[in-house]
Amino acid sequence: MKKVAFYLMPLVVFLGLIIFLYQGLFSDPRDHQSSLLEKPMPEFVLPDLMDIEQTYTQDVFLGEVTLLNVWGVWCITCAIELPYLKQLQNEGKHIVGLYYDQDIDPDFGIKTVERVQQEVTDKLNQIANPYAYNIFDVKRNLSLDLGVTGAPETYLIDQQGKIRLHHIGDINPRVWNKKFAPIYDLLVAQ
Amino acid sequence: MKRLVTTLLVLVLGSFCSLVSATDDKFHFESPEKSALFLDLTKELRCPKCQNQNIADSDAMIAVDLKRKVYELLQKGYDRQQVIDFMKQRYGDFVYYQPPVNPMTIWLWLLPILFVFVALAGVVMTRKRQPAEINNEQLAKAQAILERDE
Repeated sequence: MKKVAFYLMPLVVFLGLIIFLYQGLFSDPRDHQSSLLEKPMPEFVLPDLMDIEQTYTQDVFLGEVTLLNVWGVWCITCAIELPYLKQLQNEGKHIVGLYYDQDIDPDFGIKTVERVQQEVTDKLNQIANPYAYNIFDVKRNLSLDLGVTGAPETYLIDQQGKIRLHHIGDINPRVWNKKFAPIYDLLVAQ
Repeated sequence: MKRLVTTLLVLVLGSFCSLVSATDDKFHFESPEKSALFLDLTKELRCPKCQNQNIADSDAMIAVDLKRKVYELLQKGYDRQQVIDFMKQRYGDFVYYQPPVNPMTIWLWLLPILFVFVALAGVVMTRKRQPAEINNEQLAKAQAILERDE
């Protein structure tokens, strides 16, 4: 009996290893908890993308459940999610864009604002404009404070200006229903 | 031959120059200690976008932004731990290559030690089992066989 157990041991170890590695096939290394959850929006003072004279601060999110969508015209996936975001907006959701430009290197130079505005207007006219307005993260400082790793990413912000959800990647019906809808509905019901 | 040597020389010198200027072109520090700390930190911070690279290696925009932030913070007088904490606050433990010790990660250190102890116990136990008793009858039998062979 002892001998059987002894010879079975490698098999048990092997099965354990297989289960461990098999799980690895389905785990997404990009999927890790955002460290900003349940925290208030970081402080910022940034201009409106279309009207540089107007500035926003973190207080702009108070009083309304907001989807803050990080995007740029250079981002292909962002263009793909625009129509669905438009649909969400049509359903009455408040969507704000956090726009940042890839070509602007704060160490060297800045593309003219007019050019950025033109690119954005063209893109939104061509596809759809789901945004109430766009905040222009000129030097990508707010993105850094938010822990943005790329675009598109979306934050769900509650009426108190707290971050409730951070999603990396595009929003589509599946992601919305599974991840956003439960929390969103709960917040709106409050 | 001469041309080959010149080409090689140019190549070697060229790569040397690029090594020297790698830290100097964008990020200039007043003290060599700070410069060294900057290089250290950018090696130990992990790029959130391209996960198998540190931010010194990566060319992703986010890595460039993080490098610039590290530079900015060091210029402001932050020390090593403060910079790491700043990054962890935003990007989580994930952003630093050294994992923190907590109930989940403690196994990274405990498992190897456990393994050594289990293996040692295994060795000791198999050792103990070895001495099989040989009684006089068996000895006599063996003796008989030896004698017969002679």
